This record gives sequence, structure tokens and C-alpha cells, in this order.
Amino acid sequence: MISLRTDLPLGGDSASRFIPWLMAIMVFLGILSVSGVAVFDTILSGWSRAVTGTLTVQIPALSAINEDSANQARTDRAVAALESLPSVRSVKVLKNTEIEALLAPWLGDAAAIGDLPIPVLIDVSLSDESTAIIEGLRTAVTTVVPDAIIDDHRRWFEHLIDLTEGFRLLTIGIALIVTTALALTVVYATRASMAEFREVISVLHLIGARDIYVATQFAKRTLSAALKGSAGGLLAGVFTQIAIGLLASNVESGFLPDIDLGFGFWISLPLVSLAAAVLAMITAYITVLSTLRSMV
Amino acid sequence: MQISKSSESTDQTSALELDNVSLSYDGGPNVLTNLNLSLPSGSFHFLTGASGAGKTSLLKLLYLAQRPTQGSVRLFGTNVTAAARSALPAIRRKVGVVFQDFRLLDHLSAFDNVALPLRVANAPEPEIKSNVSELLSWVGLDEYMDAKPETLSGGQKQRVAIARAVVNRPRLILADEPTGNVDDTIAMRLMQLFMEMNKLGSNVIIATHNEHLVAKFGFNRLALENHRLSELPPLAANGAQA
Ligand SMILES: Nc1ncnc2c1ncn2[C@@H]1O[C@H](COP(=O)(O)OP(=O)(O)OP(=O)(O)O)[C@@H](O)[C@H]1O
Ligand SMILES: [Mg+2]
Repeated sequence: MISLRTDLPLGGDSASRFIPWLMAIMVFLGILSVSGVAVFDTILSGWSRAVTGTLTVQIPALSAINEDSANQARTDRAVAALESLPSVRSVKVLKNTEIEALLAPWLGDAAAIGDLPIPVLIDVSLSDESTAIIEGLRTAVTTVVPDAIIDDHRRWFEHLIDLTEGFRLLTIGIALIVTTALALTVVYATRASMAEFREVISVLHLIGARDIYVATQFAKRTLSAALKGSAGGLLAGVFTQIAIGLLASNVESGFLPDIDLGFGFWISLPLVSLAAAVLAMITAYITVLSTLRSMV
Repeated sequence: MQISKSSESTDQTSALELDNVSLSYDGGPNVLTNLNLSLPSGSFHFLTGASGAGKTSLLKLLYLAQRPTQGSVRLFGTNVTAAARSALPAIRRKVGVVFQDFRLLDHLSAFDNVALPLRVANAPEPEIKSNVSELLSWVGLDEYMDAKPETLSGGQKQRVAIARAVVNRPRLILADEPTGNVDDTIAMRLMQLFMEMNKLGSNVIIATHNEHLVAKFGFNRLALENHRLSELPPLAANGAQA
């Protein structure tokens, strides 16, 4: 294995003071943004599983009073048209009580609902969701009930996808900022340490060390300091993650879908921490090489 | 190919050549003026001169810590004054230096300090272990392998510095007052070490004020006076000879 033994002193300089803290904070932030995306993705895919393959057909009520039979006929025509389509798996007309239950939170007293022109809602589940099929369905239904409204959840869903994309971009932005801040701070700390270790570097050069050797010494040192810090950041991140999970599970069930982030997510956290430490190491290496080359 | 040929000396017997070398620090007065010198392989010299005469300055030119203000320095046939920065480490590995102020690395043990030139050259660790231990025993420091420099006396530090300078069998050994801090017995032992290295083929240059040492060992002298260098025969001595 690669030994982390170096010819440089073990501590006391800018880099060894700075880098562990820096790494801990950066890795912590990194983990929070990664888990933010993961949670959001999980919730979204839960929702999308719930709505894919379904759409709702709305048959507006003709009028409030005494049009029950006409309304019923319109509903029957729509159901028949739907059932004749090969890609329709099932058709279910929502009972009035179910609709009242859906509306209750907004309208309050269920007794009043009977007097309102409540549309008929038909849940349709599809074996094929392509645009052509949905357009065919729309034509078939509006032929028999011209003012029927077909809601394929797509509009709502598209907004949700826009939101997710926005959220993803934001996370990538944060990751870029965090990474840049990490790299710049490592550059700064490495330069400061090089100034502090001027004499050591000079002796190493005079006994025949190549720039690469000196850079490797700094890189090893940075790696071990960075690993310390990122382990701390990882622990703090995982702890926060678990704490948030516990808080979320206290929230009334049904409001949030059950979030199981999966093995892939948990394994990605140590990998992210390791990657950050390696990034710090490479940055230190390149900084030393370029600083030495600019010296005469 | 023309270029690389011109930087290789055709005269293989010359280990070290100074061609009209002058040195001044930061545009100040010349510390060294128009030095010319050619030393054959296997030579052994004392470098003498009053304090401030420029002994350390001349050695700096030879271990490539300083470039001459004028003229050129050749080591083992390579014009090091014109050499690229990337070519310097390989040349420096052929030069072992005992610095006047030792320049040991304070955070490293005596063992690790001495091991440094081998580690820098990627020598295998078992070889490092045996060579360094043997050498530290030879200079009488086998008890102090793990000691940090700050816990060593001046003379002990000096011996660590000497061990570090010779551990990779350099072709040129430059020692700046290497016996300044030790008693006569140890000074003799250290001189013996330099003479052993010289027998194995290293060129040796020892800068010293110590007239007694110069007289006792009848080596040729390089004398710095009034910024100029002259080669002098061995100091007529009381019969002692290497
Ligand atoms: N880095 C430097 N910058 C400016 N002047 C220097 C520097 N190093 C040496 N000098 C000057 O160069 C002259 C020669 O110094 P040098 O150290 O070479 O003398 P020396 O012969 O080794 O003396 P000593 O026997 O006391 O060690 C001195 O006048 C000194 O002040
Ligand atoms: Mg001197």
C-alpha cells in the first residue's frame, strides 16, 4: 500500500489546520445536497408511479336540477366509448360519496354538495400512454360527449418535472460552488504551507529531490488531513440524515410517501467524501508543482 | 544534437570546471572574481580563506544553490550553468553537501535525515535501512538513530549532516567546516570517512579555517583571497600524510 509517511512536519502549518475543517464542512454540505436530490427523486417517482397509466375524464353536469337522467346518459356514452378502446384497461366511475370526500376539505359541509352541479369523474387506467393513444381517446370521448374534459395529469406532471429539473440544477450549482471553494481554499492553504516549509523544500531540492517528489509529499499530507476532515463531515451528514428521517416518520403518514433511499444512496455518501479528499489531494499536488515551476 | 553535444565535455577526466566565474549578490560587489579551475576525477582539496572570503559562496555555486553572475560551471562534463531546471536534480544527486549550518530537518530523526537522499532517489527501503544504520554506526551515532536534531549536540548534528552527505556515494563531496564542532578524535575519524569516500572515487572539497587540519593532512589547497582563487601545494607539515 501507499505509505502516507512524508518528509514534511506533521502539523502546525496552514494546510494541516485548515484542510480538515474545510473538508468536514464541504463534505457535510455535499451530503445534504445529494440527499436533498435523492429524497425529492424518491417522492417524485412515488407520485409518478401513482399517476402513470391513469387519466381522468370529467363529464360536466348539465345543470343543478332535474337533469339526472341526461347526465347519466352522457356518462354511459362516455363509459361505452372508453371501454371500446383496446388500450383501456379499466374504467371506473367515481361514486358521488367519493367525490364528496375529495371535495370536503374545500367545501366543508357535505350536505350542501348535493345541490351543486358536480361533474362526474371517470378514472381510466391505460395499458399504453402514448400521445397518439391519448389523442385517440380524447376524440372518441368528445365525439359522444363534446364538453367532456380529459385530464391526463400531464400538465400537472410537467410542472412537477420542471420543478425537479430546477431543483437538480440548483443542486449541481451548489456542488460546483462547493467544489470550487474547496479547490481554491486548498490552493491557498497549500501555498501558505509551502511558504512555511521553505527551508524543508530547499533542503529536499539541494539533495536532489525532483519537483514531483516534493509535490507528492504535500499531496500525501493533504490527503491524510482531508480524509480526517471528510470522515467527520460524513459522520455529521449521515447523522443529520438519520435525524431528518426520524422527524419525517413522525409526520402523519400518507402526507409524505415512505422514503427508502436505497443502498445506492447510502453507498454514494462515503464515495462522495472520498472523492472530495482525492480532489483536495490532486489540487495540492498541482498547486505545488506549478508554484515550484514558477520559482527559479 | 549539436546542443547536447556542446554541453558534454570531451575531457572526461575533469570532474569540475570553473570557467571565468564571478559572483555578486544582488548587484553588490563581487564576492568571487574570474575564478578558473579544473579538477580531475578523484581529487581531494582543502578550500581555505579568511572568514567572509567566499568559501561558502563558491561551494553554493558547486551544489547549484546559486548561479554565477558571470562565467560557467561544469560538473562531470555538464554545463550546469546552462542546464534546464529539470536537469538539476540528477546532477545534485551526484553531489553530497555538508552545510556549514547543517540544515538538518528538525522534525525528522537522525535516521530519517540521513535516509533522505536515498528516499528522494527512490532507493528500496531495505537498502536504505542497512546503509543508513551502518553509516550512523560509523560516525558513532548508533545510539541516536531515533533522536531529533534538537536533542543532539553540535558535534552530533555535524556527524548526522556528514552521514547524509555521503550516504548515496556522491561523485563530489563538498563539506563546509565539517570539523568545526568536534574534538580532534572525532575530527580524525570524519577525515578518515572523507578519505575512504575519496578512495572509492569521489572528489572531495573541504572548506576549513582549521590550519592544524590542513597541515596534518597534506592535501592540495584551493585558497580564496581578494575574491580570487589560487591552487596551492600542500601546506608543508610535520610529516603527517594521508
Ligand atoms: N545570501 C547572501 N546575500 C548577500 N551577501 C552574501 C550572502 N551570502 C554571503 N554574502 C556575502 O558574501 C561574502 C562571502 O560570504 P561567504 O559566506 O561565502 O564567506 P565564507 O568564506 O564562507 O565565510 P566563513 O568562513 O565565515 O563561513 C560575505 O561578505 C558575505 O557577507
Ligand atoms: Mg562559510
